[in-house]
Amino acid sequence: MEDPQVPRWPLTPACRWMGERALRVETGVTTLARVEQLASGMFNEIEDVIAADGSILLIFKQAARPSQPLLAALSQPVDGSPGRMGTRHILSVRMDAESGPDLAFCATHAGLDLSGFVREFTRIEFTVAFLGFQPGFPYLEGLPAHWAVPRHARPRVRVPAGSVALGGCHAGVYPVAGPGGWRVIGQTAAKLFDPRREPPALLVPGDRVCFEIEA
Amino acid sequence: MNGLPVEILRPGLCDLLMDGGRQGWGRMGVPAGGAADRSALAAANRLVGNGPDAPAIEMVGRGPQLYFPRGGVIALTGAPFRAARAAGLVAGWNQTLVLAAEEILRLGEPVTGYRCWLAIRGGFAVAPILGSASALPQVGWGGVTGRPLRVGDRLYSEPAGGGVHLLRAQPPGVDEGAPLRVVAGPQTGALTDVGLASFFGGCFRVDVASDRRGIRLAGPRVIARGQVFPTQGVVPGAIQVPPDGQPIILGWDGPVTGGYPVVATVIGADLPRLAQLRPGAGVRFVTVDVEEARALAPPEWTVEDWA
Repeated sequence: MEDPQVPRWPLTPACRWMGERALRVETGVTTLARVEQLASGMFNEIEDVIAADGSILLIFKQAARPSQPLLAALSQPVDGSPGRMGTRHILSVRMDAESGPDLAFCATHAGLDLSGFVREFTRIEFTVAFLGFQPGFPYLEGLPAHWAVPRHARPRVRVPAGSVALGGCHAGVYPVAGPGGWRVIGQTAAKLFDPRREPPALLVPGDRVCFEIEA
Repeated sequence: MNGLPVEILRPGLCDLLMDGGRQGWGRMGVPAGGAADRSALAAANRLVGNGPDAPAIEMVGRGPQLYFPRGGVIALTGAPFRAARAAGLVAGWNQTLVLAAEEILRLGEPVTGYRCWLAIRGGFAVAPILGSASALPQVGWGGVTGRPLRVGDRLYSEPAGGGVHLLRAQPPGVDEGAPLRVVAGPQTGALTDVGLASFFGGCFRVDVASDRRGIRLAGPRVIARGQVFPTQGVVPGAIQVPPDGQPIILGWDGPVTGGYPVVATVIGADLPRLAQLRPGAGVRFVTVDVEEARALAPPEWTVEDWA
């Protein structure tokens, strides 16, 4: 029996499978709201929800498939702004030639002198769009469009933990040391990820972040 | 009852402690990781009386030399490696092995395939991080500070009570020469017609620069239209095509998001085969649809008493 209230599969062209266990849902500006809608734990078949840049990836438990209530939820529009505003964090950052080897490059690219760049950067209130690359690595939105910088053609072999960096239109912070191609502009002592903390990631999608110069 | 020690006399190419992994932490940027073939891990554990996801040693390419000062009950599954025990004793695969005190197990290179698992009765004692003992080298978690085992490392099994059953297992029959089955998309449309033909018609070789984060392929250039893609969530088995046209199959420790188009994803039933791809191995792809992929359950092992 078909329930006329429940949309038939495929829902919309905006949902595409990545393998048989993950469904990519195009979410545009509603990404955070969708995450909030689906991460509530209401849908038992979902193992994980990975937010990204204008899409989310729903990962289903082994042998599970999307339930009718989930399909119905996906077909419902959500408000572009998430219901709750995330926590606001202030991260202390050191921004100088030593802690930010690409600071001068980024300032020049933005058409500012060093102090002007630092001043403008610390005025921005960023939003955590999503996490990825490393555990707890935040992709921060809020940079002026013309600040977008190309990544290093050859990634650095080792970027220290706590590096604050720009990559394309995002800012980010490296939770652990490792190879990385983003332009490093500073250093923070904040612990971005601690598996013993609940939740382990300091910043989660929807949170807001400001940087202030370390006293 | 105390656990038993195991000492590394000589490490293999890359011996990592692995269990069932960290499912459900992708939202925090954490890859699931865990044994590259969970059914082979489960079988090894079953042979020694453990739960399916107990921590075991995952070995790749060349195995270690291990010293068991007080003996131990172990099992090996996965690719058969050259192996030696004391004179006259067989280090057989897929069966319960009872090692005497002071035995040394010498593992060499795989005869076929690439990875194998060594489970010990009780499982290896490792403090879990986010619910898993699995090593994650790029972050330094799990196993022995996340790194491959070294000379002098001493691991311990968890204590285990009860008697020992001698069991043997039958691995699922796998046609190693068959193409990897994939679900096409979500960005198959990123490829040009020529790119599509080279991806689905071409034969690739596994590059030596492959690891648990990604299996890099070399072969006909898979040409994508020069679009820039927004970063998206990705899963192990997803096949990304970077601008150089050489596909990368994301592995168990790969990132949870990626910025290259994903043109296809290896189905769950064929993920264990990724674990056995050694550098130089040939890889071809064939598509199945989502429903077919679901119906193709992961290959099953059978375990029986070893009479």
